Amino acid sequence: MNGIQPPTIEYGQLSPLLLVFGAAIVGVLIEALAPRYLRKSLQMPVTLLGLVGAFALVLTVVMQGVPTKAAAEGAIAVDGPALFIWGVILVLAVISVLLINDDNEFVASAAAVPGTPEEEDAIAAGGAHTEIYPLALFAIGGMMLFASANDLLIMFVALEVMSLPLYLLCGLARRRRLLSQEASVKYFLLGAFSSAFFLYGMALVYGFAGTVSLAGISDALGAVGGQNTLLLIGAGMLGVGLLFKIGAAPFQAWKPDVYQGAPTPITALMASGTLVAAFGAVLRVFWVALGNLDWDWRPVMWGVAILTMVAGAVLAITQTDIKRMLAYSSIAHAGFLLTGVIATGAEAQNALSLKGILFYLVAYGITTVGAFAVVTMVRDAGGEAGHLSRWAGLGKRSPALAGVFAFFLLAFAGIPLTSGFFGKYAVFAAAVAGGAVPLVIVGVVSSAVAAFFYVRVIVLMFFSEPAPDGPTIAVPSVGTAGVVAIAAAATVVLGIYPEPVLRLAEDAASTLFIR
Amino acid sequence: MTGAVPSYLSPTGQEIVFLLLGAVTVGSALLVVTTRQLVHAALWLVLCFGALAGCYLVLTAEFVAWVQVLIYVGAVVALLLFGIMLTRAPIGRSADLDSGNRVVAAIVALATAAVLVTVVIDGFRTAYADLTPGRGAASEVGSSLFRNWVLPFEALSVLLLAALIGAIVLSRTDIRGR
Repeated sequence: MNGIQPPTIEYGQLSPLLLVFGAAIVGVLIEALAPRYLRKSLQMPVTLLGLVGAFALVLTVVMQGVPTKAAAEGAIAVDGPALFIWGVILVLAVISVLLINDDNEFVASAAAVPGTPEEEDAIAAGGAHTEIYPLALFAIGGMMLFASANDLLIMFVALEVMSLPLYLLCGLARRRRLLSQEASVKYFLLGAFSSAFFLYGMALVYGFAGTVSLAGISDALGAVGGQNTLLLIGAGMLGVGLLFKIGAAPFQAWKPDVYQGAPTPITALMASGTLVAAFGAVLRVFWVALGNLDWDWRPVMWGVAILTMVAGAVLAITQTDIKRMLAYSSIAHAGFLLTGVIATGAEAQNALSLKGILFYLVAYGITTVGAFAVVTMVRDAGGEAGHLSRWAGLGKRSPALAGVFAFFLLAFAGIPLTSGFFGKYAVFAAAVAGGAVPLVIVGVVSSAVAAFFYVRVIVLMFFSEPAPDGPTIAVPSVGTAGVVAIAAAATVVLGIYPEPVLRLAEDAASTLFIR
Repeated sequence: MTGAVPSYLSPTGQEIVFLLLGAVTVGSALLVVTTRQLVHAALWLVLCFGALAGCYLVLTAEFVAWVQVLIYVGAVVALLLFGIMLTRAPIGRSADLDSGNRVVAAIVALATAAVLVTVVIDGFRTAYADLTPGRGAASEVGSSLFRNWVLPFEALSVLLLAALIGAIVLSRTDIRGR
């Protein structure tokens, strides 16, 4: 044995990922070395620079030509869709981090038991967990890794790198801490359960194919015969793990609880970034690895997509909490996106579906972050005014804020001249072209049902009398105001002039996933 | 994976040892859940994990076997015993270890076992693994780990770091003002 042959790592292609993780590690060092009063003013620029720098590096990789071969010994596929998703995740991460910057959302000392003198001491002393920034960066790095994984092993590791910091961050809300901690534990337990499903599915698929590489599994589908039970149960379990992460019914139960309990900036990061990353992974597993098995998974996916759309839209009507309502709306949107995942076929059809999904992810992600940013600004004595009745008459107190929120809701509903319209149009058009017409009909009907509760909130805000002791509108910090402005601008621009982003999505989708 | 399948009727020494170790594993696993003493349950768990490590060894996966010994026998069981010590759990024979759900739990466990056994038997009925010694040796695993799997390996270290930071966030009580 004369030494190990060193692996070839394409550092250039992986540089956005490495920069995000590097910035996270710098953040950890700041926690260890910098004095407490300096930490926040150091963490914020490091985090933002890391994310913006990574975005610039993504652009550089695109300029140099999209790679056609998997990087890092086949572990990561830096292809067109992956680069697009990286860019989207980084943009969403930057605006979510601007929200995270708001001190008022996070606990002063996580170890202090809620309602005890220690907690009051920590608040009085102005304690703050600046570790939030590196943790968020780890989660963002995990999301990027998850969406570009080219074998199941790295996908599983990325799933954990993405989820573990999020489990923690969910429990760090400043107000209503018991609710937040409950959300964190629920998310952790259910998430661990779904990870176990994913892992077991991976083991069974490995038993079938003898490899965990997505391309290898695809090859094995044609070459290995007679072990279909292993393959089908394995694929089903992988599906359970992935569908849990996107919050598709019947695995959606965690979403309202977690979205409600988590600090709102973290909810924004989860609702946008995690969804984008998880769809990247779903597409990779079901299109690249199991693409030739589509006769087997398509009927199941039909059921899941219909159930998700209907459950999300119908259950949202019964909600009285604004964050829970947005959570159910996010479930419904996951269902709309799944119609695109189902619409596979020839290469051109796949590119069309992929383009629709990519555009939808951009449009929905940015609008979501904006909507949650507005939620952080409507406050009661005990924190955010979550209950919908508190939002009555907001349009008379603060027309601008209520107007922007109404605009975001209309974008969720998919009204023309908003980004949501083109997103829905792109996905549904691809689904029609792919022959999933009944699914599109269900989608359109549930969009109409969903539009009902969005409009109900708008009516509540503009046509109800404000309560005398109604919530106050917090004067937004520069960051929060910036987030709302960026999100509103993006929603308008993507709704009126979507061509540049659509073309970008088309270019990214045209190469499809590399194998 | 597949090759000429020798007859089951003349088992080799390896296969006999594997079967015996399997029997020890299943037997001690049953004792873990039926014994009435917590400490005994933890010790039966040692035997169960140890026998499983023996199975790995027979299958020429020596590295996995040592990991099993170090992590499960060494760390997990030690953690369990510490848990019993620190929570002042009853050490002697205790009658209230059985929960009211034991019938349901047994049904679920049996059903899970049935599904898994069916799947594995169905999937690997004709598969025959060639057990050449040395394929699971530490050097082989190491060179594969640091060549083909170097990126997942590094990502795991990131995961551990994130978990450490998270543990600090959740447990530190000496956080003072800025």
